[in-house]
Amino acid sequence: MVNGQAGKINPKFREFNYGLSSGKVCLITDAGRRQFHYNKSNEMREHAILLTIFLVAATAISLFFFFIYRSSLPEDGKGMVNAGKKRLFFALILASVLIILLTVTLPKSPYFLFADETPAKVVYVAARQYSYTMSYQAIDPKSAGRSDTIELPVNQPVEFRVTSFDVNHGFSIYNDRAELVTQTQAMPGYVNRLRWVFTEPGTYNVLCLEYCGVGHPIMRTSFTVK
Amino acid sequence: MLSGIAWSAPEDYNFSEESKLYTKIADIKLNTTRGEVMLSDLYVKSPVILTLIFTRCVGICSPFLNSLSEDMDNLNAKENYKVLVISFDPLDEVSDMERMAKRYEREDDPQWVFAVTDNIAELNESIGFYPVWDSTRQQYDHDALLVGINENGYIVRKLTGIRGPDALMGVIREINNEFVLSYPLPRENMIFSCFTYDPATGKKKPSLGLLILVLPGILTLLMIALLSLKKQQQSVGNG
Amino acid sequence: MITRSLKRITSVWIITVLVLFVTAIIFGITMRFNQGKDLTMSPVGFYSLMTTHGITMIGIWAAAGLVAVNYLLGRYVKVSVSLNVFAFVTTVIGVLMIWATTFIGKYHAGWTFLYPLPLQVAWAKWATPVFLFGLGILGAGWLIWSVGMLLQILSKYSLKQAFAWQHFSKNPAVETPPLVLISTVSLIGIIVSLLTAVILLVLYFLEYFSGGNFTNDPLLMKNLTYFFGHTIANESLYLGLAAVYELMPESSGRPRFKTTWYVALAWNCTLVFILTAFFHHLYMDFVQPVGFQMIGQLASYFASLPAAAVTAFSVIALVYRGRIRWSLTNTLFFIGIMGWLIGGIGAVIDATVSNNMILHNTLWVPAHFHTYNAMGNVLFCLAFFNWVAHEFAGTQASVKSFRLTTVLLLIGGFGFVLMFYLGGAYSMPRRFSVYPQEFTHAAILASLGAWFATVYLVAIVLIFANIIKKCLKVFSPSFSS
Repeated sequence: MVNGQAGKINPKFREFNYGLSSGKVCLITDAGRRQFHYNKSNEMREHAILLTIFLVAATAISLFFFFIYRSSLPEDGKGMVNAGKKRLFFALILASVLIILLTVTLPKSPYFLFADETPAKVVYVAARQYSYTMSYQAIDPKSAGRSDTIELPVNQPVEFRVTSFDVNHGFSIYNDRAELVTQTQAMPGYVNRLRWVFTEPGTYNVLCLEYCGVGHPIMRTSFTVK
Repeated sequence: MLSGIAWSAPEDYNFSEESKLYTKIADIKLNTTRGEVMLSDLYVKSPVILTLIFTRCVGICSPFLNSLSEDMDNLNAKENYKVLVISFDPLDEVSDMERMAKRYEREDDPQWVFAVTDNIAELNESIGFYPVWDSTRQQYDHDALLVGINENGYIVRKLTGIRGPDALMGVIREINNEFVLSYPLPRENMIFSCFTYDPATGKKKPSLGLLILVLPGILTLLMIALLSLKKQQQSVGNG
Repeated sequence: MITRSLKRITSVWIITVLVLFVTAIIFGITMRFNQGKDLTMSPVGFYSLMTTHGITMIGIWAAAGLVAVNYLLGRYVKVSVSLNVFAFVTTVIGVLMIWATTFIGKYHAGWTFLYPLPLQVAWAKWATPVFLFGLGILGAGWLIWSVGMLLQILSKYSLKQAFAWQHFSKNPAVETPPLVLISTVSLIGIIVSLLTAVILLVLYFLEYFSGGNFTNDPLLMKNLTYFFGHTIANESLYLGLAAVYELMPESSGRPRFKTTWYVALAWNCTLVFILTAFFHHLYMDFVQPVGFQMIGQLASYFASLPAAAVTAFSVIALVYRGRIRWSLTNTLFFIGIMGWLIGGIGAVIDATVSNNMILHNTLWVPAHFHTYNAMGNVLFCLAFFNWVAHEFAGTQASVKSFRLTTVLLLIGGFGFVLMFYLGGAYSMPRRFSVYPQEFTHAAILASLGAWFATVYLVAIVLIFANIIKKCLKVFSPSFSS
């Protein structure tokens, strides 16, 4: 039996959950490989890491340009020595960095998350201007409107089957610190399947992140993870 | 006219296909043509495609099994799976199932299992399958149903009606734990879809919409090619 | 050849673009102030303004790039002024139609008019077809103009030369000027994207006039929308870079850039990357085949290689210990390259699928595209405007103080986008007229963003004032080319 029981996480995929942040920490211990250590601030750290990377890079570029600008002022005029070599060197470094980043990040794409798990719960989501219907049962567009109160288990894979009954909408899940945890788009005519493991109990809010008309910012719903 | 609602469910779209997904199937004792076995003994070895029929059926059961049998032959899928045919009629005996296996020439096929059970109510309930006895016709009123069960005994996919090899292959892939990220809802107009999911390869195959997407590129290329060809001819003419 | 009539139409374009630019910045500031609760607009008012802001900005900077390339191509090939004038007329008609739909008809489906939102009429009934027709007229004008320019290039250079393929062999007989190479690549991209727009509009009208008998496929429409939208925005920037290649050395008193094998290679690759990078707009549409998503990330990543290693590096190598005579023109080019690179970092972060899951359609998106537009492409175009204005006036680009302008531009511009980046990193959604209360700092960030944008606006007005008088000189009877 390759796969875990429904509702349990295959440790192999645990790592994908947290992108840049503490994925490796999550893999941890050996025995049974079913014990996981969850860091409560995973989402926050991931956002902060991306911002830090950006700010550091932007500052470095600005300082570098300032340095280049300053170098142009004195009556020196020697120009860059060995520019061709430097360019080649720079291109090679940049290409290697890009290739490394690609090989690291591509497997973490959401499309491969929890792919060989059996979700413990499946939730059907139908978006429309400007509300969501969420149900444990498939939603018939003719009788839609009745929403179930959604309660999902913590630390177990769940699946959202998301569609829209009018225009494109977003289905973006925020934790109670207003941090974006994961998302998919709600496209009319198609059902997108989003699998996720919530590692923190609490109330989660769903916001629309695809502009859908005047009610776009007030379109929301929520569910609980216990 | 300006409704713009791109989605409308055809009248016959069966929402029961979406019920009981990811729930565990009842682990019941089966009397198969090859002896007694628990349902779990079957699915832990290989995922199962389960179908529920009854031998006295004068309706859909026969054409349904026919097409299933044919499709399985045509697909010749490499994936690991078993086809389990269970009668939901308490009057059916193992001997009836043996005759049925013979009729479809599956009596010696190890991939096919024919069975009856004493716990059919429990099984039906766990699947969400509710045949109704019609006493005037002396027949059950029921859907043709395929249930995909993975190696852990969870229902991962259901198909109602006779759906053909493509849909069948989708079930086989899904019970083998392949995650299909998205599926289209039944719509009236799909001629401009970019892709159709091809269950035979597990990939999306391009359809007319994709051609539309690459059309601008092709038109531009053609235009440039024509222009430079014309210019070459001119320069040959001049030179 | 650069004729007097070419100078006149270029001057008309510059003034039009700058007037519209200042207006559209004010729209943007108004929106940010509304998000900051410093003023209160109705949601419909906000989203109509958002639609106007987006379409105007995309429109004027694509046009500005075409204007610059058209003017500078005049140095190498025979260019058509009448096509240029024709495009100006269609642009004015298109813009007026679009503005009428948003201001009078309250049309507010966003400049991306993502299917099927424009058909869910929540505004004056006439506004949807008029918006789409307006866009069609504008697009048709540019399409004819762009094809015309490409023809003009191909009437002097062979196809191989236009793509600079002869530079892959040793000692090429003919040198393709970088401007011609970049124009060829960018014009092809523009043509492809405009043809996509045509197809998109045809599909819209098919559905609109079918009386409900025909509905489009939402996935196809989304792909077409972003293929068009992403490509036109991206190519506008590359048109701006054409001006950098042509004018940066010249305005700095340095030898002009030459096309070499790596320049040729870089720009040929760029064409491929641009046409496939748009897939990153659909990362969160799981219905899109995974292969396309991978292509999206690959193309988005590798587009940065020629950009940084060839274009940016060339500019840096030119400036480094180069005894540069700094003027407003080359300062704007230089800052623009910097802004482009910084925006590029933001873009690459967002174009990573695993990051996109927490950044998609947050304020990170306007953050990065405002960086390489407002602090990149806009500056390239303004530099061209400034340079060409001096050419019109027959003056030398003054070395006199432009320090104030530069400082305001840097503080205003980067401060403005920083507020977007912070918002994006803290998961705040884009395109929200007001923020839900759980985003506690969203309003203050928006307010600050608006104030920084106001500083940026002051810098733009200073530059505008510097340019406009010189531009008007081409209309004086005594003006001679």
